Amino acid sequence: MKRRLAQIFSGVLALLLYSPSHALAQGWFLWGTEGSYVHQLAHLLFCGAMIFFIYEMRGEKLQRYRGFGYLMWGCGILALWNLDAVVGHTLEWGRMNRTMIGHGLSERLVMEDWETWFYYITKIDHFALLIPAFYLYYRGLKTLALESKFEPR
Amino acid sequence: MISLPFFPIWFFQVLGTLAVLIFSFLSLRVTRKLMARDPENALWLFLDWLTLGFVIFSVSHATSHIIQELINHFGQSPTLWRLRRIFGGFDSIIYVIIAATILFFHRIQRLYRRMEADHHHLEETSHEILALNREMEALVMERTMSEMALGMAHGIRNPLHVIGGFSNRLLRKTDPDDPTRAWLSTIAEEARRIEQMVARFESLAQRKESFFNQEDLNGIVGDTLELLRPEVSAKNISLVTDFYPKPLVGRLNRHLLKVALSHLIRNAVEATRPYGKIIVRTIVEKDYAKLTIQDTGRGMPPEVVEKVFVPFYTTKIGGTGLGMVFVRQIVDEHRGVIALDSKVGRGTTVTIRLPHRFVDKAELEAPGPSAGPQAPPESGGGQE
Repeated sequence: MKRRLAQIFSGVLALLLYSPSHALAQGWFLWGTEGSYVHQLAHLLFCGAMIFFIYEMRGEKLQRYRGFGYLMWGCGILALWNLDAVVGHTLEWGRMNRTMIGHGLSERLVMEDWETWFYYITKIDHFALLIPAFYLYYRGLKTLALESKFEPR
Repeated sequence: MISLPFFPIWFFQVLGTLAVLIFSFLSLRVTRKLMARDPENALWLFLDWLTLGFVIFSVSHATSHIIQELINHFGQSPTLWRLRRIFGGFDSIIYVIIAATILFFHRIQRLYRRMEADHHHLEETSHEILALNREMEALVMERTMSEMALGMAHGIRNPLHVIGGFSNRLLRKTDPDDPTRAWLSTIAEEARRIEQMVARFESLAQRKESFFNQEDLNGIVGDTLELLRPEVSAKNISLVTDFYPKPLVGRLNRHLLKVALSHLIRNAVEATRPYGKIIVRTIVEKDYAKLTIQDTGRGMPPEVVEKVFVPFYTTKIGGTGLGMVFVRQIVDEHRGVIALDSKVGRGTTVTIRLPHRFVDKAELEAPGPSAGPQAPPESGGGQE
């Protein structure tokens, strides 16, 4: 069964990779394509789910437990990350040919306008925000596990 | 023109990707431990699924960004672009899965909570039924034993009278020098002693405080109604009481009757629409003290009325189907009769008749329990 599934998966992958191409010139999603909208909407849905999760936890007054407190902060940052990603993707896909100078590690981005500034900031945020978000999520779970050890079921 | 290095972006990219991978896998380890500890806990299951979503997200996100970097460094490769797009699409899917997990578990949590509340309610009801059952068993056993003992005492007394009477007659007819006189004297003496013992026992048995005490039926009904008044008011139902002007004092079990009445009145409240009416009435009718509970509720069709007293028959969701069975058993224990008259759309009337042999006629006319303890019946009038 597993072998068959692996065969089907690799077949689909090969079909996707080696099928005739005509629009691969730029960007992983071209702004305006169906994929780009789906991706942006998925980010917004993810953001909405995080906010809903926080709302639910607050509704149940779970913030009094330290573990849930961390989870709420983690989810809050993830919601922010999603909004940041939506802005970042819009800027990234909106203009593909940015002016770069240098090579390798010394490569630099020329700050032509405010859009490029936003692009630069959101690009850093895209990775920087994920670190505290996942750390807080992990810490929340760890604290919940410890708290639940001493609480009656 | 200002230019900024790309290095901070790469730095955070590497650090962020690694951190997300590490923390998501560590989180999965924690949730797996929680699941192993308590596999039936809905919260742990939810967090486990959510964390699994985050693990897939971290792997997919890392892969798509690594491919992006490969494209940046090794130039435009159609295969790499395709992979980048596939993983970009996969990212979209996983975001939707995470959102769906949260929304799905929200519904599951509501169901789980309702199930827990129902379970709690069932447990409480089960405890109540168990306690009631024990009480009923004890009551039946005590009364049966008491009746048997009284029956035996009654049965012994008559032969004893005969033995005592004849032994005394023989004693009178026997010469004072007859050696059997001493034996006859002992027989007569012992028969008299047993007779005295039986008389004492009967007197004690009749005086004994049992499950049935001197209680006022009006008082029991009034107390029960006071207890349920908040439930009646909450539904804006008008509660009309019409009690017999004199106390209906009799040998009743206050607790059991309150249980039965509470059940009947709650049923009436449930069946009656807001702003409806429930009438509770007590009267004396020939040899019975009659209690009626009449509501203006939705009523029941004849086929339901027929099965009301059948054990485990219920029309309520989560009902046990034992409530009315216990009500009838309680009325039976009071040697009473319960009747139900119901018309769909018109309402239901429950009538309970408690016989006077249990509610002594003399006691009906008594000023009430506060006037002092009632004397036990001299003869079998108040007993079976």
